[in-house]
Amino acid sequence: MTSSILFKSLPVSLLYCILLIPIPLYFYWGIVNQLGPDPLRFLEHKYGELGLIFLLITLSISPLFKYAKINLVRYRRCIGLVAFYYVVSHICVYFFLDIGLSIDILLSDLQKRYYIIAGFFAFITLIPLALTSNNFALRKLNIKTWNKIHSFVYIAIILSIFHFILMSKTWTGELYFYTGITILILILKIKSTKLYKKLSTYSNADISK
Amino acid sequence: MNRTTMMDKVVNIMGSYILKILKYSDVTPHNFYLNRRKFVEALGLASLAFVPTPTIAKQSYSTNAKPNTLEEITNYNNFYEFGTSKTDPAKYAKSLTTDPWEITFEGVSQNKKKFDLAEILKGKAIQERIYRLRCVEGWSMVIPWIGFPLRDLINELELNNNAKFVAFETVYRPTEMRGQKSATLDWPYREGLTIEEALHPLTFIATGLYGKELPNQNGAPFRLVVPWKYGFKSIKSITKISFMKEQPYTTWGSENPREYGFYSNVNPNVDHPRWSQATERVIGEGLFGERRKTELFNGYIEEVGDLYKGMDLKKYY
Repeated sequence: MTSSILFKSLPVSLLYCILLIPIPLYFYWGIVNQLGPDPLRFLEHKYGELGLIFLLITLSISPLFKYAKINLVRYRRCIGLVAFYYVVSHICVYFFLDIGLSIDILLSDLQKRYYIIAGFFAFITLIPLALTSNNFALRKLNIKTWNKIHSFVYIAIILSIFHFILMSKTWTGELYFYTGITILILILKIKSTKLYKKLSTYSNADISK
Repeated sequence: MNRTTMMDKVVNIMGSYILKILKYSDVTPHNFYLNRRKFVEALGLASLAFVPTPTIAKQSYSTNAKPNTLEEITNYNNFYEFGTSKTDPAKYAKSLTTDPWEITFEGVSQNKKKFDLAEILKGKAIQERIYRLRCVEGWSMVIPWIGFPLRDLINELELNNNAKFVAFETVYRPTEMRGQKSATLDWPYREGLTIEEALHPLTFIATGLYGKELPNQNGAPFRLVVPWKYGFKSIKSITKISFMKEQPYTTWGSENPREYGFYSNVNPNVDHPRWSQATERVIGEGLFGERRKTELFNGYIEEVGDLYKGMDLKKYY
């Protein structure tokens, strides 16, 4: 059980540093041309993929606790915010480097391209979550309101996965992998909702009659 | 999209990972058909024999743009037969045996329909063509191919009278091409051209690049290069060429007919349904490189414009 001791002793601030290192590191590798023949696309996709991965990890924390008794709840805020920073970096690469600050291209992409629309709304959905991921907001807000805001994360993950699917040319192994994990997380979430429990008790009662 | 259920695909992929344990033999193809010295000789002879005539407007069909490095050309490939990542072909294409290599012709009236690659290459004047390859994904790179115009080969064949189209097929060899073990695309990869397009002097068969034999990840040993069309039309590792009356089946065209038309001419004014085709990323320009304005027919409007005269390019994309 050394790993769990390590987890318990790992300060959150250190975790922030470790998880965010790839952002400047990949950018540096991009500048010194170490990211292959197409560094821009590599950087853009890498930030996006890492954002998705950290978002999925954040969402796995509650099912992990519930079904596997692995308690990582104290790191959830940190990992969630890290996911947000990757999403911001991803969008910065798109806006500053890919389309070269062109508002025209941005607006036409937002009208015509479904994957950009999905990705854009995923980002918008994440903003209130990031803004309220601090103790100050927790104190100020009613816990019910706070929970409601943070349930937007499920909308964000669905939009993110659609963003990924819609931009892909074919179904690749990684696309199946991330879509599968997302579906699993969503199923577990639906099963834990009050509505689902209510409905299932009703249907069970029907059967027993 | 022709897709089976997701579960089927998941099972397929899991199966392919299990099959991955299979070990590939490391076959190095023999440099049997071309070496550097022969190539230089061929070029020398070609320049001696060159007589300018009024019908040849341009001395060369090559672009003046600086070619990408061999490193870039051989490590950034779309060749789904070896995996969907652009670095997969460089990693896994070694396993393809390119010698011996046979090419079968259909829709020809001659008795002999199967040829060894060496037979096809015998007597062909090898030349260099520096073409910009514009990928449908919105990037381009400049590649110094060597090979010969496809018309040189077609003119040697006895075609059936009704040949209106040419269909090409990539080798299907899942034991050597690991990507073919999963149903990413409807294998074997198939592409096609109209007979007029196939006979155009720009349409090229590449057997090498940078004066050397073609690396496997670039479509060894025998591939098509059609510089005014998006890259996926330039089919790699060809084993079958058929001449036919009807428009042939094309792999991407059947995967997604709305996105990948039969013609797929480079055209900045006709967007891919999911992204713009107005500009392209220039491979090799680094992280801060500027996008390049995409040209109609990839800059070959003078050469190929007549092929599409009066055609609605938005409809026949």
